[in-house]
Parts: sequence; C-alpha cells; structure tokens
Amino acid sequence: MSKSEVKIYHGAIVCKETKIRGDVTIGSMTIVHPCATIIADAGPIVIGDGNIIEEQVVIINRLPENSQNKDDISTLRIGNNNVFEVGCIVETSSIGDNNVLECKSYIGPGIKLGVGCVIGAGCRLTLPETLPDNTLVYGKNCIRKIISDKPPNQNLQREFLTKVLPNYHHLKKSKTAIMQIAPQ
Amino acid sequence: MELQDMYYNKSEYVETASGNKVSRQTVLCGSQNIILVGKVIVQSDAIVRADLANVRTGRYCIISKNSVIRPPYKKFSHGVAFFPMRIGDHVFIGENSVVNAADIGSYVYIGKNVVIGRRCILKDCSMIDDNTILPPETVVPSFTKYGGSPGLCIGELPECTQELMTDYTRSYYQHFIPSRN
Repeated sequence: MSKSEVKIYHGAIVCKETKIRGDVTIGSMTIVHPCATIIADAGPIVIGDGNIIEEQVVIINRLPENSQNKDDISTLRIGNNNVFEVGCIVETSSIGDNNVLECKSYIGPGIKLGVGCVIGAGCRLTLPETLPDNTLVYGKNCIRKIISDKPPNQNLQREFLTKVLPNYHHLKKSKTAIMQIAPQ
Repeated sequence: MELQDMYYNKSEYVETASGNKVSRQTVLCGSQNIILVGKVIVQSDAIVRADLANVRTGRYCIISKNSVIRPPYKKFSHGVAFFPMRIGDHVFIGENSVVNAADIGSYVYIGKNVVIGRRCILKDCSMIDDNTILPPETVVPSFTKYGGSPGLCIGELPECTQELMTDYTRSYYQHFIPSRN
C-alpha cells in the first residue's frame, strides 16, 4: 500500500485488508482473501487470471541472501487458475497453471511448478528443482507421484466467492480497472 | 494442576456482557454471522471467516493466536456451498491452527499448527495432537487421539476427558485476566 504500483485488472476481487507492497499485478477474476500478504521486494510479481489466494498466504519475491547486485531483477510469475490455501508460503520464481497449494505448504526459492501440481497440506519443498506436470506431493515425508487426473476445477468456488466477498469486504480498486472496461 | 495467570492488555480486549473476551487484533469477517454463546476467548490475530457461512461456538471456547476458523465448502453439480460450522462447549483450538471442520463436538482439544481438512467431524471428547494434518472428511471418534501427517489414531483418552477439558477451559478462562497496570 506504500506505492500505487498495484495493478488490479477488471473482475479481480482484492480485499482491503490484504498487505501488498511493491510492483504487483493481479489478473482478472483472481480472488485475494483478506489478510493475504504479497510482497514484491526483489522484482515485480505478476499473478495471472482466475487464481484464489486465501488468508495468511504469503507470496514473496525476496532478494537472494548472497546477492550483492541489486540490479538483477527477477519477476515472480504465477499462471492461471491456481489455488493457494490458508497459510501457504511461496518464495519461488515461477508457478504454472491449475496448481493447488494446500494449507501451510511451503515452496522455497528456485522451485518451479509446472501445470496441475498438488502440494499437500504441510509439505515443505526447499531444494531448487523443477516439478514435472501433474506431480502430487503428500504426507510428512513429501512422497511424490504423478497423478493421471487433473486437480478439480475451481470455477464454481470462484463464482461463489465473487458474489459473496463484495457483500462483506471493502475491495481494493485500481485505476486500471476502469481502463479495462472501456475496450470492447 | 493449576494454570498460571495469563495477563492481557486491557485496552486490547473487548469483554461482552456474556463474558466473551475478544481481541481487537482479530479479523472477524461477517461478524453478524458469528455467535459466541458466552465466556469465549478469541486471541489476537485469529481469523474467523463467518462471511462464508455461519460460525457458532459453545461456552468456554478458546481460539488461540493466529488460528483460522473457516467454514468448509463442498462442490455440487450446480455450484459451491459453504456449510455452517458448529463448535461445541469447552473446546480449545491451539495457535496457528487452521480449522476447516464441519462439526466440532464438545470437550475437544486441538493442538498447535494443526490443519483440519474440509468437512472433518470431530466427535465429543477427542484430541488432535500438535502438528497434525487431518485429511478432508475425516471423522474423529470420541475418546481418541489423532496425530501425524496424515492424521491417524495414535491413542485413546480416559473416560474422565469431559471433566479434564471442562476444568482446563474453565481455569484457562479464569486465569486469563487483565494486567493490573
């Protein structure tokens, strides 16, 4: 909220209690619940369309500890239709589409998520790597397997939240929202 | 064993006529849908998402710091519905826990850092250990203790659990007092 660099596209629902800092772009139809934290320190964060970001989620683009060079700007890109459940922490640089990050999961720096991955509740991934598409990580030992079916579609939940949340929360509006309505 | 006195800053908490003590630092969404029957403590930074569906707690419930109470949802063919959540009497919810349960009975103890999956049912006199991850739709029977990830039955509770939880939550409430200065 320090600077007005937050871009919110038309149709996105971002509650006022959300902490947003730095250059953040939130795509259309994305829902950000109250008390989520999005911090873009090291570089911009670009969030795609149709994501659901629940409370206590932390999405952070932080400077690498050993890097002295503050000029190398890295963008944190999040694709479309991902679900970030309560309390998950994201420090990675790239997330694809249709992923589900369950409650209290942790994705460390350098881990790239593909398409359709499910990170189970409480799983912590810290080693930099690229997860193949449709990976399921679950249990206390973070066991992995490739699932054949896609994670469930979240359209219905998104529709419901789009109706309900504006009744109870003050929403963040962005100037770009008006510009987005104009072209037909 | 007698509990130690826990002091809180009087200006931080609101005390209602029915004896509820609610911190000002909480996030109570949709507060018109929250029913706290009486003598309930809601500590700082707890989040209660009653905007999604009604939340009703019984007497002597303790909702600790940073915990999230979130009514569960279920998908139907024509849409999504969030279910109202009911919490019984003498229930303790530990710090940093996420509760997505559909129904929590009375005399239930939920530890710290617990994740309770969607539409779980916790029957009366059950206990969830610290750091447990309960998968969605788990039913925890009475007088059992669940722990681990995924949560499994790791033990049984004595028959006096009802008295133990009653004593514990009552004395917690009595020892949760404003600091004198």
